Amino acid sequence: MTSPLVKISSVNKRYGRGALILDALSLDVAQGEFVSLIGPSGCGKSTLLKLIASLSPVTEGLITVDEKTPREAREEMAFIFQEPTLLPWRTVIRNVELPLEVKGMGHTKRAGIAERMLKLVGLDHAMEHYPRQLSGGMKMRVSIARALTLFPKILLLDEPFGALDEMTRDRLNEELLAIRLAQKFTAFFVTHSVAEAVFLSSHIVVMSANPGRLHKTIPVPFPYPRTVETRESPAFQHCVTEVSRVLRSVTPQTL
Amino acid sequence: MRKNLKWFLPVLTGMLILAAWVGLKAGFGIRNFVLPGPLTILRAAAAERTVLLSAAEITISGAALGFVLAAVIGILASMVMGLSAALRLSLYPYILILQMTPVIIFAPVMVIWLGPGLPTVTFITFLICFFPIVANTTQGLISVDKNLVDLFRMINADPVQEVILLRVPHALPYFLTGLKIAGSIAMIGGITGDLFAGNASGNSGGLGYMVLVYEGELKVPELWAAGFTACFCGFIFVSFVLGLNWYLLHKWHDSIIKSDL
Repeated sequence: MTSPLVKISSVNKRYGRGALILDALSLDVAQGEFVSLIGPSGCGKSTLLKLIASLSPVTEGLITVDEKTPREAREEMAFIFQEPTLLPWRTVIRNVELPLEVKGMGHTKRAGIAERMLKLVGLDHAMEHYPRQLSGGMKMRVSIARALTLFPKILLLDEPFGALDEMTRDRLNEELLAIRLAQKFTAFFVTHSVAEAVFLSSHIVVMSANPGRLHKTIPVPFPYPRTVETRESPAFQHCVTEVSRVLRSVTPQTL
Repeated sequence: MRKNLKWFLPVLTGMLILAAWVGLKAGFGIRNFVLPGPLTILRAAAAERTVLLSAAEITISGAALGFVLAAVIGILASMVMGLSAALRLSLYPYILILQMTPVIIFAPVMVIWLGPGLPTVTFITFLICFFPIVANTTQGLISVDKNLVDLFRMINADPVQEVILLRVPHALPYFLTGLKIAGSIAMIGGITGDLFAGNASGNSGGLGYMVLVYEGELKVPELWAAGFTACFCGFIFVSFVLGLNWYLLHKWHDSIIKSDL
């Protein structure tokens, strides 16, 4: 058996001297998996993404990414934030080029890659637009295209579609899976939507809160490629019900 | 219709004010040295145009130099304070002290240090324009969204790239706000400077100096003419900044997009 791509071993996390956010969390993720992190607010799922990305230090325990420290492995990862985080003074294509520009790639070459990524997310007609001219869903597409320019091994997504309407969210879910067929990245996906988690993931990690612990890892049995039909099948609905039940068991009832 | 109103309403207000002015003056028989009529002022301005124009030129030179100096040094100071919290904490209280001390008190000191004339006028303008530029630009440099900073860390941007590609463009609208405030008060700096140090070139000085001369000679319509000249010069500054603001922001910034809907 090959060693896991991301290995999280007994990780504790607290901010400063604050309360414990993550408590002895361990999780191994193999190359090519799509892992969704789901749980009540305050369970530390976004924090876990930040630790993997080395945007925040681990308090105790160890994380390795591709057998390196998260900081050393940062070039193999891309982060997609809750907000599209586009630079309003740059056009769409110049936003997508940003990671390549920072890397020092020449103008023609990076424009070519950016254009290809925009084509992939269906926005090649809006390359010269400014972010303010785009809808919420289009902005998120630009954000995805920007993350893909570096061909990351690992994509970290922090509730990227939470602010979108359901139709747009479903479509972007389908597109994300289609892109993954081509780019083969391993994904960590934070979400509050059970249906979204089931549709996207190979594994769903359910976390409990105060402090954040790993409650249960649920494998999702449906083969890729998944389509609209997958979402409509009774087996899919059944799986959603199952995961919802587990999620309810870790959510405080006093809300 | 709406576009016509935009011009029509202020023009109408102006006419009403002029009518009230002329009406009050005639109705109450107000004498010229208390309140001259608009036409009298225009005539005085025409008669004094050579003096007023050269005075305006002197004042504008001082105000413009001080304004540009404040912008350049303001940007540099903001960069220093925006990029290092330690330097910001060290310097900011003293910039505040500089701002809190009335510039009128600096003026005589400056005359002693720099002598009367352009350097002093420039320096006084610089003093009053500096603070709004520094305060706003620094704010812009440090108020970048945390997620954007994280994004730059994720793509392994070095600190210089973070400043040039993220912080500086983000601070641009803040800088322009500071520049707008500075532009609207630059003439005050110039005229304050004139009042204290205006008698540099023999018998004529800047607008502030001419105000003193007209006051001494009880030339009240000329005094008003000098006032309107200063006001007009102020508009030149503000138009320049508004033009620059539009040029730099119209493609992407909400402040401009919304206003032209």
